[in-house]
Amino acid sequence: MSDTKTVGGGGTKLLLARFRLFFILILLMAVLSVVSPRFLSLENLSNVLWSVCIIGIMCSGFIYSPITGGIDLSVGSMVALAGIIANVLMNIVHMPMLPALLLTLVFGLLVGLVNGVVTTKFRVPPFIVTMAAKTYLFGIAMFVSNGDTITIMGPKDFLSIGVGKFLGLPIPIYIMVVMIIASHILLKHTVFGRRAIAVGANEVSAKLSGVNPDSTRILAYVISSGTATVAGIVMASLTQQAYAPNAAGYEFDVITAVVIGGTSLLGGSGSVAGALIGAVMVGFINNGLNLMNMPASFHPLVTGIVILIALILNQGFTLPAWMKPKKRAAGGQA
Amino acid sequence: MSEKALADSPVALLECRRINKSYNGPMVLSEVDFSMKRGEIHALVGENGAGKSTLIKIVTGVTNRNSGEMLFEGRPIGIEHSKTAAQVLGIAVIYQELSLIHGMSVAQNLFLTREPRLPGLPFIDIGKMNSLAQELIDRYGFTLKATDVIDSLSIAQRQTVEILKALNSKASLVIMDEPTSSLTSTESAQLFGIIKRLKEDGIGVLYISHRMEEVYALSDRVTVLRDGRKVAVLEKAEIHPEEIIRLMIGRKLDDRDSVHTMRKSDREVVLEVKGLSSEGKFSGIDFQLHAGEILGIGGLVGSGRTELVRALYGIDPHDSGSVEYLGKPWEPGVAGSIRGGFGFIPEERRLQGIMGLISMTGNIGITNIDVIRKMGFVSDRKELDLARKAIGLLNIKPADPSVLVGNLSGGNQQKIVVGKWLIRDLKLLIVDEPTVGIDIGAKEEMYQTFARLAEAGVSIILVSSDLPELTRISHRILVLRKGRIIKEFSEGQVTEEDVLKASSGILPGGAK
Ligand SMILES: Nc1ncnc2c1ncn2[C@@H]1O[C@H](COP(=O)(O)OP(=O)(O)OP(=O)(O)O)[C@@H](O)[C@H]1O
Ligand SMILES: [Mg+2]
Repeated sequence: MSDTKTVGGGGTKLLLARFRLFFILILLMAVLSVVSPRFLSLENLSNVLWSVCIIGIMCSGFIYSPITGGIDLSVGSMVALAGIIANVLMNIVHMPMLPALLLTLVFGLLVGLVNGVVTTKFRVPPFIVTMAAKTYLFGIAMFVSNGDTITIMGPKDFLSIGVGKFLGLPIPIYIMVVMIIASHILLKHTVFGRRAIAVGANEVSAKLSGVNPDSTRILAYVISSGTATVAGIVMASLTQQAYAPNAAGYEFDVITAVVIGGTSLLGGSGSVAGALIGAVMVGFINNGLNLMNMPASFHPLVTGIVILIALILNQGFTLPAWMKPKKRAAGGQA
Repeated sequence: MSEKALADSPVALLECRRINKSYNGPMVLSEVDFSMKRGEIHALVGENGAGKSTLIKIVTGVTNRNSGEMLFEGRPIGIEHSKTAAQVLGIAVIYQELSLIHGMSVAQNLFLTREPRLPGLPFIDIGKMNSLAQELIDRYGFTLKATDVIDSLSIAQRQTVEILKALNSKASLVIMDEPTSSLTSTESAQLFGIIKRLKEDGIGVLYISHRMEEVYALSDRVTVLRDGRKVAVLEKAEIHPEEIIRLMIGRKLDDRDSVHTMRKSDREVVLEVKGLSSEGKFSGIDFQLHAGEILGIGGLVGSGRTELVRALYGIDPHDSGSVEYLGKPWEPGVAGSIRGGFGFIPEERRLQGIMGLISMTGNIGITNIDVIRKMGFVSDRKELDLARKAIGLLNIKPADPSVLVGNLSGGNQQKIVVGKWLIRDLKLLIVDEPTVGIDIGAKEEMYQTFARLAEAGVSIILVSSDLPELTRISHRILVLRKGRIIKEFSEGQVTEEDVLKASSGILPGGAK
C-alpha cells in the first residue's frame, strides 16, 4: 500500500503500522494452528471466510463514519433487517430478485440518510442517533418477522449468491474484494475521500477550504448503511435465514476491525486495507474459540482479552515511562 | 535554606549543558548550553524551526532530551523528566496555545487539582477557593473576577489567568512561548508590566518572541538559537535589534521607516460593500476595494474586524447591506467565494487553519481540491506538485511534503496556512493576522509576496494587530471601532501612532 504515504492519516507511521498488523495476524494464525491442528484445514478456513466476508463488506462503508469523526452503531441491526426485508419482498410480495434487492438497498440508503441528516442538521451526537436507529431497526425487524427465524426458500438465484462459486471461490469473496477495493479507491483517490478525512481532522479548517461538512457526513452515513444492507443480503443468502437478532453485536466486530486496522475513532484518519486485515483477525479469533471447544459462555471474555492484546501490540509496543528500564544520562559528567 | 539566602546564592536558576535532541530524524538541538539567573528576564530568539519551543519543552518535561545535563536550582534533572516533575520543581509554562479549561471559572482553573477542601471532608470548599483566587487576582491588580467563566474572557485575559496559575503554584521560573503573538499593543504593554513584577519578585522569566522591539525593551539577556545551535548569549548592554537579527538569520535587514505614505488606487473596483451590518458585530460598513490594492483594516481586538472579513468570505451571515463583486451583486458563501477567486487566511491557525495529523500535501490539497480534481478523482501527482510549490514559495522547513503538519514548528505551520492559498489563482485575498509566529526574515519575504500579488492585480484585505505591518504594507487603511469604520487613511503620511490613536477612539479635531 505505497499510496498511503501522502494522503491523510499517519503517512509513514501508518505504513509501519501496516507491517506490524501483518506480523500480529501471522502471530495469531501461528498460535491458532498450534492450539488446533484443524485450524489450517481448507474446510475450516472456508468456514472463517463467510464471517470475514460479512464483516469485511460492512467495514468497507462503515469506516467513513469514524473517519468523519462520528460512529454508526446501527449497522448490525441494518444487516438483520436487510435480510428480512429482502425475504418479504421476494417471497411474500413475490417481486423478482433484482428489483427486490434494489429496493432493499434503497431502504438501507434511506436509513443512512436519516442518520446523517439527524446528526448534522439537528446536531444530535451520532452515537445517540445511531444507537436509536439500532434500536428501531431491530424493532422493525422484530415486527415484520414476528420474532421468528425465517428460513429463506428461494428464489434459486438469490440462494446462489451465498453458496455459488466462481473459479472455485465462493461468490461472497468476490463481493467483499470488490467492495473493499472500491472503498480503498474512494478513500484515497476521490474528492469525497479527501473531504471525509478533512472533516474528521479539523471541521473548521475543512469548512474554510470550501468543504461542506454536513453533506460529507450525510454521505458517510448513507454509504455505511448501504454497505450494511449489502452485507445483510449476502448473509441472508449464505445462511438461508432471516432472523431479527441475527447480526446483533456485529457493530462491535466492525468497530474492532477498523480500529485494529488503524482507523482513529477521533476522526481524520483511516485505512480500508487495514480494516480488511482487522476483519480477518476478528474472524479468526471467533473461529479459534469454536475450534478449541471452549464453552460459548467463555467466548465474549476471551474475545475481549484477545482484542485488547491485539490493540496494545498495534500501538507499537511503547512501554509507559515507569515501566521502562532506567537509562543513565548519556551526557555524563561535565 | 531560606528564601532570601536562595535568592542571593550564586547557583543558577536553570542550567542546561550540551543538550542534544532529535525527534526521530535530524538533530533539532545540538550541544545547546543555556542558563538563567533568578529574577532575570531572558529572551530566547531564533528563526522558525530553530528549536526554541523544543528547548522549553525539554525544560518543562513535555519531551525528553537525548543527552545533556540539566540542573534546576543546582539539582540535576534526569533524562526522564516529566510535566508533573517540572511543576513540582516550580517551573511553570504559558503555552503558545493556551491550556485553560473552558466552561470552568477562573478560580476553578487556578486551583485545578489543588482545590481547598472542606475541613475533614473530601469535598471542595468553593467559597474558600473563590476568595483565595480573588485575593491572588487583587494582589496583582488585575481586573478579573474569580467567578468569571474562561469562555467569556479575551485572549489577553486568559493569558493573565495562565500567569496567575503559575504564581499560584509558587513557580520560580515562568516560561512564555510567544505570549504577545495574539495580543494588541495595549495588552502587550500590560503583559510587560506583569513580567517586570515577576522579576521584582525574584521569579525568572524565559520568554520567546519574534518581536525584536519587545526583546530589546524587556530582556536582561538574550540567547540566540540558529539551526538548533546556540550562536550567542547577549548581555543587557549588547542587545540591539539589528545585532540580534543578524545573529538569527545571518544577514542584515533593511532599515524600516516608521512613516508610510497612503495612496488611492485608480484601478477598477473589485469589491464594493454597502451598509453591511451584522447584529452585535459590525454595522454600516461601506468601502470599495480596487484591483491590486492592499486595504489594511486596523482596530482593537473585538472591534469587529475579524467578524467583518468572515462575513465577506461567507462564513457567517450578515443581516443587512449588500456586496458587489466584479460589478455584480454578490451573495457571500464559502464555496462560491472560492470559485470566485477568493482566498482566506483565518486568525487562529490551530483551530481554523491546519489539520495537524495530516501531511503538508494533504493540508494543501484539500484547499486546492478544485485544482487537483479530475471528475470525482484527485490527482496525487498534481497535489504533490502544489505542495512542493508552496514549500518552495515560503521556504517551509523541513521541505519534505510528507511531514505531518502537527510536527512542524509554530511558524512553519503558519506558513502552511498561508501557503496553501498563495499558490492559487486569486483575485481577492483576505488575510487575518497572517504573520503570527513567523520569524522576522520570513515576514519580510511574506510581505514581498503580498506586494508581488498586488502588483499582479490581486486585491488584498489585511487585518492585523501588528501596527508596523499594517502601516507598512497597506495602501489604504480603514480603522474599525465598536463595529464601525471610524477613520480611513487614504492619502498622505501615516504613522503607527496615528492608527493606534484612531483604534482607541482618539481622533484629531476632538471628534469621538
Ligand atoms: N513532534 C515533533 N516531531 C518531529 N519533529 C518536530 C516535532 N516538533 C518539532 N519538530 C521539528 O523540530 C524543529 C524545531 O522546532 P521548534 O518547534 O522547536 O521550533 P521553534 O524554534 O519553536 O520555531 P517557531 O519560531 O516556528 O515556533 C523543527 O524543524 C520542527 O519541524
Ligand atoms: Mg515555537
